Amino acid sequence: MSVRLLALIPVAVAISLALSAAVDAVALPLFLDTTGTILATALAGPVVGIAVGVLTSAVNTLRNPTFWPFVVVQVIVALYAGLAARAGLFRSLKTAVPTGLGLGVIASLTSTPISYFVFGCTTTGGIALTTALGRALGLPPLGACFFGSFVSDFGDKAVTFALVAAVLHALPRRTAARFPLALRAIGAT
Amino acid sequence: MSALHPFSLLAIAAALPAFAWILPAPTGGLATAGLALMLPLVPDPRWGVRVVRLALLTAAPFWLFLRLLHDGPTTVAIGGRITTMVASFVWLVAVLSPDRLVEAMVARGWSLAVAYVFAATLSAVPVLKARARRIVEAQRCRGLSPRGSVANRLRALRALALPLVLSALHEVDERTLALETRGLGAGVPRTPLAAPPDRPAERVARWALLLLCLAALIWRLA
Amino acid sequence: MRILALEEVTFWYPATATPALESVSLEVGSGEVVALVGRGGAGASTLLLIAAGLAPRVTGGRLAGSVTRGARAGIVLPTPWTQLSGMAFTVWDEVAFGPANLGWPEHEITRHVDRALERLEITPLASRDPVTLSGGELQRVIVAGILAMDPDLVLLDEPTAELDPEGARAVWRLVRSLAGEGKAVILATSDVDALPGVADRIIWLDQGSVRALGEPSLLAEDAMCEAGLGTTVAGLWRAAGLGAPYPLTVVDAAQRWR
Repeated sequence: MSVRLLALIPVAVAISLALSAAVDAVALPLFLDTTGTILATALAGPVVGIAVGVLTSAVNTLRNPTFWPFVVVQVIVALYAGLAARAGLFRSLKTAVPTGLGLGVIASLTSTPISYFVFGCTTTGGIALTTALGRALGLPPLGACFFGSFVSDFGDKAVTFALVAAVLHALPRRTAARFPLALRAIGAT
Repeated sequence: MSALHPFSLLAIAAALPAFAWILPAPTGGLATAGLALMLPLVPDPRWGVRVVRLALLTAAPFWLFLRLLHDGPTTVAIGGRITTMVASFVWLVAVLSPDRLVEAMVARGWSLAVAYVFAATLSAVPVLKARARRIVEAQRCRGLSPRGSVANRLRALRALALPLVLSALHEVDERTLALETRGLGAGVPRTPLAAPPDRPAERVARWALLLLCLAALIWRLA
Repeated sequence: MRILALEEVTFWYPATATPALESVSLEVGSGEVVALVGRGGAGASTLLLIAAGLAPRVTGGRLAGSVTRGARAGIVLPTPWTQLSGMAFTVWDEVAFGPANLGWPEHEITRHVDRALERLEITPLASRDPVTLSGGELQRVIVAGILAMDPDLVLLDEPTAELDPEGARAVWRLVRSLAGEGKAVILATSDVDALPGVADRIIWLDQGSVRALGEPSLLAEDAMCEAGLGTTVAGLWRAAGLGAPYPLTVVDAAQRWR
């Protein structure tokens, strides 16, 4: 792996974790903890994205050990983003947002079994409460759990994809040209 | 405890949750949870008590929500496992120093890339977090508030996030140049600077722990 | 011994039509100190990156002309905090980062690191965590980190930007001492007043080409003063309407005055 990509990885992880301050300031129910993973993938491909995803989970785990089992979700995010980048789906908000919504579905499908089998759907307070709501509405246990994850993941991934698309378009060409996949991701090649 | 080799500490912190899930619930989970909570108390009880308290505080909300969603026995079964995981990791973070781990990786001949990426991430996170807070404060002085329509708040989020991410990416350029000139891509094996000692007894113990986990897994599946 | 030779070098950054450097030729031998002066964006940093072998290899872009380098180069970039390795938790380890990456044996590393810390006068900081240092301290740590690798060609981009006058003087003394050891030094600086005692040659870069080159007395010439790049004393003399040739330093001015 080139030195440039090695230098990108820690920065991308730090981006994912630092955005929580921005999210708190606007009081939106988002995590944006896959921003670095998706951005790194769009710049340099899924291998780099997976490295960023694994490290993001590892650092999150230092703060709260229950994040670790969800590293699988970060890996899936990186793979999905890799396909999206190769198809140039970051070229505008009109293509990026639906792609993000698609990832929201896949991410919650992936995290639900983990949440269910490891944590009994109590991953976070929010998920536990929406799961309880789902149960009250008559959904079966696994379905209620999915309902819990889906509600938070859907919007979060769409916003993340939109943000990454905005960043890619705002990058000066000279900088973007130094990353292997960036120009293709925005449909510029 | 912190005199143990970093890989030994990692092995213990990984083995306890593994056993919690492999061994039959609820006794398995509760037993490993008990072990994980006693671990910090071993060398220095006063320091250990603080770690145990943090572990219990982190695990407590899960018990609450589990009780909300499940019946008694399931709550105890899952709760025990979660507590083990939480307690092991909280102990690991308290007892393991990152530079020893990095040096251990380098000494063992692990790729310098892996060691670098791990260490540099730990350094980069607090720096970028502080910068994010500064950007938020600067925008607050200009009237950013958590009120308003969702669309407005999304626009505000964009105004906060874009400068942070773009300046961070620009720095990647500078970092790349600095790392290259300091020999990171040299392709020569790096000299370890202060490798932590690895006693043969510890290495044997680590392998034994791994084999024990596998044996338990096979016994459980059979 | 010739350490570096650039022949008719033109360089374009990626996806840019205007070259950052145009037809630049330069030769630097061991023991020489060459200073690059010019306004921001004139190409000094680019020239240093080319001399370091980082452009176009790491920056991307296209280079025309030839670059011959006879020795190992080390470059110190202008912003200290982006040059931290991120892998060191003490200043000593930070300075040892480069030598360790080169795979040198431990006693060699210790010898070079201790020497570099001494030369930059930062031995008392050896066990501090780099993130707790001030800008000036950090800049000295980064310079020490490059010197510890024992390069024969030392490239410095604004080395005194974060330093107070005392610290800056120490760096200029260090530059002369490096030259005395036989190293070649190329530096880019806006601290023009320090150059008469430090540089053997001055190169004036303007929009990527060499506008003038010569001895430090160049800094007292009319053209340079008009561009705002002459020494303070020369600029004052000129502004006061006193005749050419303008004095280069305070000492020269004092002599002329008598």
